[in-house]
Amino acid sequence: MLIRPVADDFRVIAFYLGRIFLVVAGAGLLPLTWAAIAREWHPVGSFLVMIGLFAILGVAGIRFAPSESTLNWSHGMVVVAFTWLIVPVIGAVPLLLSGHFGRPLDALFDAVSGLTTTGLSLLSDVDHLASSLNFWRHLLQFLGGQGIILAALSIFAGTGGITLYFGEARDERILPSVTSTARFIWAVSVVHLLFGVTALGLVGWLVLGFDIDRAVFHGLMTFFAGFDTGGFSPQSTSIGYYHSAIFEGVTSVLMVAGAMSFGLHYSLWRGPRRAVFANLETRTILSTFGFTMVLTLLGLAATGVFASVAGLTRHGFFQILSAHTGTGFSTVSSVELAQWGGLGFGGMALAMALGGMGSSTAGGVKSLRIGLTIKTVVNQIRQVLLPEHAVVGTAYRQSGRKHLTPNLTQSVMTISLLYVALYLLGAGIGLAYGIPLQEALFESVSASANVGLSVGVTDPSMPILLELVYMLQMWAGRLEFVAVFSLLGFLYAWALGK
Amino acid sequence: MMRTLNATVMATAFLLVPVSAFAAEEVSVLELVETAAELAGEEVAVKGELVGDYGFRDDGWMWTQLNGDAYVHEPIREGGLPGGGNTGIGVRMPIDLGEGLDPPGGYRRRGPVVLLSGTWKYHDPERQGESYLEVESLVVIEPGRTLPEKADWMAVTIGVLLIGAAAITWLFRPGE
Repeated sequence: MLIRPVADDFRVIAFYLGRIFLVVAGAGLLPLTWAAIAREWHPVGSFLVMIGLFAILGVAGIRFAPSESTLNWSHGMVVVAFTWLIVPVIGAVPLLLSGHFGRPLDALFDAVSGLTTTGLSLLSDVDHLASSLNFWRHLLQFLGGQGIILAALSIFAGTGGITLYFGEARDERILPSVTSTARFIWAVSVVHLLFGVTALGLVGWLVLGFDIDRAVFHGLMTFFAGFDTGGFSPQSTSIGYYHSAIFEGVTSVLMVAGAMSFGLHYSLWRGPRRAVFANLETRTILSTFGFTMVLTLLGLAATGVFASVAGLTRHGFFQILSAHTGTGFSTVSSVELAQWGGLGFGGMALAMALGGMGSSTAGGVKSLRIGLTIKTVVNQIRQVLLPEHAVVGTAYRQSGRKHLTPNLTQSVMTISLLYVALYLLGAGIGLAYGIPLQEALFESVSASANVGLSVGVTDPSMPILLELVYMLQMWAGRLEFVAVFSLLGFLYAWALGK
Repeated sequence: MMRTLNATVMATAFLLVPVSAFAAEEVSVLELVETAAELAGEEVAVKGELVGDYGFRDDGWMWTQLNGDAYVHEPIREGGLPGGGNTGIGVRMPIDLGEGLDPPGGYRRRGPVVLLSGTWKYHDPERQGESYLEVESLVVIEPGRTLPEKADWMAVTIGVLLIGAAAITWLFRPGE
């Protein structure tokens, strides 16, 4: 029998949502301070409204719905799903009031894209956007990449943390407690922040010849979008703006770091480093990266777009790395990307669909699932070829020796198939609007896998339904479906339960 | 008075345009982006706004971005309507050509509108495949200027009221 949620269920959800909103309100103080220091007075009001809305919702959740109840699995998933719906709505307020969006839905689209670390954008005239608003867009990617819930968990410990942690599409607990795991993830991020901003800032200042404040600004924005595999950029020409192989090199390091699981970061920091390369996930991502890069480079070489091997490898490598890590940076225009065609285009789309590692800031199906799927298929084939009573080994290495159980196989297959369905959904809607198959599929995969590379379909003149579908894809893709289905189930039970 | 001054500045600017600028085929930034391969190696003249940064590098070149979109003439801060992303290309020019230019466009700033002529380098093998315009001559058509900005007092008021309400709710729990 379907049990209808009672008042206590709503109270506990509101209570935890309230805590999270207060954390986001606190994060909103950063762009507000930035705007005040930069004397950008117009955005100041919009940041105040946003902070006020988060604060009042946060306080209301805690004050009006005090709850002694424990957060169960279902509550946690609903909290996560609601968080990722409501935060973009309120976070879009400064974007909307900036005047850089034609319709409110477009501002929401950018907030969803930012928070889910996708990087598709409907923002008009980014080259004249206030630096504080640029900071807010990029901070949204940082919050989304790290996980808003994770941010909250780092600040307040308590019961239910584990549910919230897993609800945000993280499937490994690195340290014994969730709070210490959350703090470790933040420590990794802060170290990369210091390294990334310093390195990029120095390149900007000493090599590119920017003023030092602008060099630091570009370094910070590129760090946020690179390490969190978001892909927003403070300039309209993305990383191509910098015309620098060194800048691209440092950015590539950040993208790789962002696409690595935090468990792998832990192993690299504290564990035996050799074990890292024994992991199924590491081997899988290295293989798929190599495969898609060869595909793309062969495709580009065949088209003759690049006259030199150096140009072909530099741009091919950067684009495919950006696609595979789910970042979405580019050094070529979307017009040119759309003209690539053939193997080059296919390699890029495949890399986007596969995605980075699990428990990282990247999107897509994820390498561990790809590795386990391949292992399952190989085992099936071996089982058929070997004598009837032969036992096929199911062990694999992933932070230790593990076994491929039927339950795990089912879970992996289900999520992988859901991703394929999500890719096809957006492509189908795009086709219905007359967008060519290749472009419709590319853009749909880009949205679902939270990549952000575009061939020009994402545009302020795009149909509203397609815009809504892309937003749904970004949301469901980021949360890896479980929290989304839990929310739908909760609402269904509320409507029809007894 | 201002209009007369602007007209004089523009007329003077055009009189000072080097012959090479007129010899090159004038194309828009959008045409350059959309037909980048076809125009590879061509001498072109392009008009637009310089935006972002001026990167003065040790090798004697200055890099920046040239935008040729609707916001050049109708900036959003002056009531222009948002109509999509920017259309821009990378440009590089000898440092002496770039020195003395008004600051590039950004928030509250419309950069100088210029007519650039030079060679369109499409995936230049000498720059490991970068695409950009190598500028040989530059004419300032309109100088850069500051764009107006006003505080949004309505938003400030609403924001302060909301934060105040949240603070009061936090301090005084209903029923206490």
